[in-house]
Amino acid sequence: MITFEGVTKRYPDGTVAVDDLSLQAPTGAITVFVGPSGCGKTTSLRMINRMIDATSGRILLDDQDVRAIDPPTLRRGIGYVIQQAGLFPHRKIVDNVATVPYLLGWDKKKARARAMELLELVGLDSRLAGRYPFQLSGGQQQRVGVARALAADPPVLLMDEPFSAVDPIVRASLQEELLHLQSELHKTIVFVTHDIDEAIKLGDTVAVLRVGGHLAQMAGPATLLSEPADDFVREFLGKDRGIRRLSFVPAKGVRLGSTPADLVVDEDTRPLGWRSNGGLLPYGTFDPERDSLRAALDAALLSPNGTAIAVDGDGRVIGVATRDALDAVLAQHATGPDEQAREPDGEAPVTDPRRAES
Amino acid sequence: MNDEPLIRWDWIARNWDNGSPFAIKTLLESHVVLAFLPVVFGLLIALPLGVACARWRWLYQPTAGAMNVVYSLPSIVLFSIFLSVTGLSWSTVIIPLTFFTLAVLIPAVVDGLGSVPEHVRQSAVAMGFRPLRRLIQVELPVAVPVVLGGLRVATVSSISLVSVGALIGQGGLGNLFTDGWQRQFYTPIIVGIVLIVLLAVLSDGLLVLAQRLLTPWSRARRRTA
Repeated sequence: MITFEGVTKRYPDGTVAVDDLSLQAPTGAITVFVGPSGCGKTTSLRMINRMIDATSGRILLDDQDVRAIDPPTLRRGIGYVIQQAGLFPHRKIVDNVATVPYLLGWDKKKARARAMELLELVGLDSRLAGRYPFQLSGGQQQRVGVARALAADPPVLLMDEPFSAVDPIVRASLQEELLHLQSELHKTIVFVTHDIDEAIKLGDTVAVLRVGGHLAQMAGPATLLSEPADDFVREFLGKDRGIRRLSFVPAKGVRLGSTPADLVVDEDTRPLGWRSNGGLLPYGTFDPERDSLRAALDAALLSPNGTAIAVDGDGRVIGVATRDALDAVLAQHATGPDEQAREPDGEAPVTDPRRAES
Repeated sequence: MNDEPLIRWDWIARNWDNGSPFAIKTLLESHVVLAFLPVVFGLLIALPLGVACARWRWLYQPTAGAMNVVYSLPSIVLFSIFLSVTGLSWSTVIIPLTFFTLAVLIPAVVDGLGSVPEHVRQSAVAMGFRPLRRLIQVELPVAVPVVLGGLRVATVSSISLVSVGALIGQGGLGNLFTDGWQRQFYTPIIVGIVLIVLLAVLSDGLLVLAQRLLTPWSRARRRTA
């Protein structure tokens, strides 16, 4: 757990970057700091590993004040991923990944073996190990950055806009992989971004900061979408909050009907399309076990007849969700005072349909 | 002079290695020493000075200013100044040339360190490098291509400037020029020019090769900068 206690950062010229910030980033969860530029999110992050020292207040790592630890020692125990990966251009990929193990005095063989494990973990071909950073794409470099941060297996990972310099498709896949890694590693992650969609996708808890370093709201993403604390947060969240909130409602509750006769399937009962006079019409599918209500609704909208096709993990049809069935679940989850999808602040949601969303 | 050929090959053959202090081979050897020692000394001095200037920026302007003043002096003036201190010795050439080298190498070291991308520096700090280790293992290696660029300029200019030392009797191949002019005899002049150019081209080629070998990653600069 990382605890901010009344943390303020004031620069000599009087600028206040972070103003009396108090919050907790729970162990094993992703806490996202999000806000417009100048909101102090990066400053807050950097105060954790003492790249910047707070003017007043305390930051506790578990129960230890970070100010009590010598900065280089502190930093070797905290993974750090930076926007442009920050790889060392003169070192081969394997040695870049092994940076912190080398600093910790591991012998070269052990450090490299560990680096190779991590390259595999982040989905990089082991043949890239002997290359230099410039020979890798931006997305690959960013994966190396993540592998490097994880090399000494630190319990805490700080990520400073790590995916903002890559194109949207690569970014989406890096985000998916981070969630996947996190589901195995359970690190305490603090993630900084200016992109609210990224914050909502990745965060177990999202701290929205406003210019001047004030905490505007801290909540789980579903709560944030349904109950923004004020106009600033509402505006920052942007449009379609209602629809986006459905990403956090599992599609499991949708009542499935039997497969209608006009749905054409192949021999493995995978869907091919809706029968019509001229041939096959397009369709949309969702997996009730893994997908969100938003994905189910999306699947319905992709079919001309408004019926979403439910499939199992292998893509085989297990039933359909009609518009009425979807309506019934939507009505249940409409934002209200006793809304069911609410998560207590700072607690990871029990089911997490985001993982399956793409 | 009309019957005189432009090059008297027999003169070259007779003077190549005849045991006199003005044998071409001897002059070539002293030229190499006089040209390279200043570059070596310059590099050894420029590294700490450049690092200091990059670390404490206020040092850089006065240092660069002083070096530029030295650089703007005609080399013969500098040689004459040192002649009164160090007399007719190699030092009289080596010391001023070291200053000229510094004028090129200090900015090269400072620029080289400045060429280290900020995100690389930041990530080194965040990984837990202490300052000295960061300098030696990250910042200086990343600065190598820029420093080597400066080293190429310094080496070639040092090779050419040594000849001026001939005017105070310590000029390596430059002595061939004074000799040739005095006697209106072109062969030594041409030999001097050709050898100096060859020496410069060869040295530069070796440095380019060194750069290739030392920094196989340096094409990275464009992509990761």
